[in-house]
Amino acid sequence: MSQPTTDWKTTANPIVDTRATKPRPWILRVLSTRAAMIFILNIVIFVAFNIQSHGLFSSVMSVQSMLLTGTESLLLALGLAMLLGAGIFDLSLGANLVLSSVMAATVMRSMLGTSATGEVTGDVNAAIWAGLATAVVTGAIFGLVNGLLVAYARMNALIATLGTLGIATGLAYVVSKGADISGLPQQLQSNFGLAKVGDMPLPTIVAIVVAVVLLLVVRFTRFGMRTLSIGSSRAAAERVGIKVPQHLLLLAVIAGGLAGVAGFIDISHFAGTSMNGHANDALNAVTAAVIGGTLLEGGRISILGTIWGAALAVLLQSGLVMVGVSSYYQLMAVGLVLILAVGLDRFSAARRKKS
Amino acid sequence: MNDLSQSSISTDVAISAQNVSKQFGHVHALRNASLTAHKGEVVALFGDNGAGKSTFLKILQGSIRPDKGQLSIDGRPVLLNSVRDAQRLGVDTVYQDLALAPDLSVVDNMFLGGELKVKNPLAGLGVLDRKAMSEQADAALRELSIALPSLTVPVRDLSGGQRQAVAVARSVMRSTTAVLLDEPTAALGARQSELVCDLMRRVADRGLGVVVVSHDLPRVLALADRVVILWRGETVLDAPAKDLTVPDVVATMVGFNKKESN
Repeated sequence: MSQPTTDWKTTANPIVDTRATKPRPWILRVLSTRAAMIFILNIVIFVAFNIQSHGLFSSVMSVQSMLLTGTESLLLALGLAMLLGAGIFDLSLGANLVLSSVMAATVMRSMLGTSATGEVTGDVNAAIWAGLATAVVTGAIFGLVNGLLVAYARMNALIATLGTLGIATGLAYVVSKGADISGLPQQLQSNFGLAKVGDMPLPTIVAIVVAVVLLLVVRFTRFGMRTLSIGSSRAAAERVGIKVPQHLLLLAVIAGGLAGVAGFIDISHFAGTSMNGHANDALNAVTAAVIGGTLLEGGRISILGTIWGAALAVLLQSGLVMVGVSSYYQLMAVGLVLILAVGLDRFSAARRKKS
Repeated sequence: MNDLSQSSISTDVAISAQNVSKQFGHVHALRNASLTAHKGEVVALFGDNGAGKSTFLKILQGSIRPDKGQLSIDGRPVLLNSVRDAQRLGVDTVYQDLALAPDLSVVDNMFLGGELKVKNPLAGLGVLDRKAMSEQADAALRELSIALPSLTVPVRDLSGGQRQAVAVARSVMRSTTAVLLDEPTAALGARQSELVCDLMRRVADRGLGVVVVSHDLPRVLALADRVVILWRGETVLDAPAKDLTVPDVVATMVGFNKKESN
């Protein structure tokens, strides 16, 4: 009988293999995360603009305006981060926001009348709640459609949502007859859109609550763990019996619902729809999520990073305007940060592989 | 060459398949394949490419239903309709691709699909009991003398052998009767292959039946208690491993002995 050349029976206790990376002290680990780096970058930018604008940048008005601007993009980015974590994509979030806002505005208009003096008549409160429900349900149904196409029909997420983007944008213009819907009750702004708790804009609080919930979900729940496992290795998730299509569908509905909430915030900010200006929302959401350390390939979600990534875009935009530089430079700056952040990651990954 | 074991139903059989056949269209993937793994026994399933090893393994793990033949698990005749059925009866598979999520930690991977939730109302929200999970994962790894630097590192950061060990430990933790392994040493270097072979022996020593499909003849032959060889979908040899040499096995695998005996 042929014996193997080495006597494996004596190697009963495998020696600890030190090739696996050892955990570093937590402070180093936290500081080396992308979320922390972008957070620090945000602080540097904030301080720099504040000095340049002689303290105007950190005034309550300015900060409130930035928070409000960032709220919608944060909600979209949070939903997208969850999708990316599971390895799928959504290009249609901006269109979803627009469609949800148009549907909500249409429902609200139909419940209210206008008196001869131009006053809004009818049950304003009921109309506002109906508008909120319409926006969220529209967004969730939109997400459901995306989810069915991607998870069950197994279409490429990019293609499927490119298709629904077109459909939803067209539908929004058809429903609104091509013009923004205005004349929504002013209470929409005073009670929600421009309302504040202390100095904090109410819509921003909504977004922060969503962020905290998602952070807890990702870190501590089975749902979060399974989301990451699907993005990390869909085959592995299927092998261990996770119902992958069902899970992806739920994620798509959540992301859609959040886009619906963002749509409602949009109309309550301006007391009317603003259909233009959301064409790049989905891509901005991708930028925010990926700058913050969420992997486009799936398997890693950084909710904190997504917050700082969304904040970065707003800080640059508001700051550049305040110091009198064209906000077009904001686009260039965010693009540059995106490339640097992801590029650095690739560089360190390549170095890790070599060593 | 007619040492086909005709083991009758007995309680020390972990998993067995008798006279199994399976046809795909015009192809007879399996014609008359049999295999029995007793508890505490390592059975090596050898065969040339196309001999039907994968099909046979898939039948044992429940993902394919045989056209003919009898399966039994833990000494009782069973009908498997899915992998879940087999898992419920305590049979788990270590796949060649390991079915691990590289971005998740060792602990999370060990419990993926069978997570433990906290024992308080938060369980309704799906909150994980990571403490219990890591304790149990640690115990399961210790029991098989698998040493890892940390259970919280992502599986991506482990070496090939360590990943294999995690996959084996996960299957052992989930199975009560038998563990099936598909090419467990295919992607490994010499030293790591030996560790994995050693691990299979320790799994069997815990009273589980072990069925291993492999091309790594010398190592697996030295490890196994019994050897089953498939040739063109038939079990042509079922014999104690100690009576066999690698040349014997190779000759049988390519059908040389079969032709001789005809």
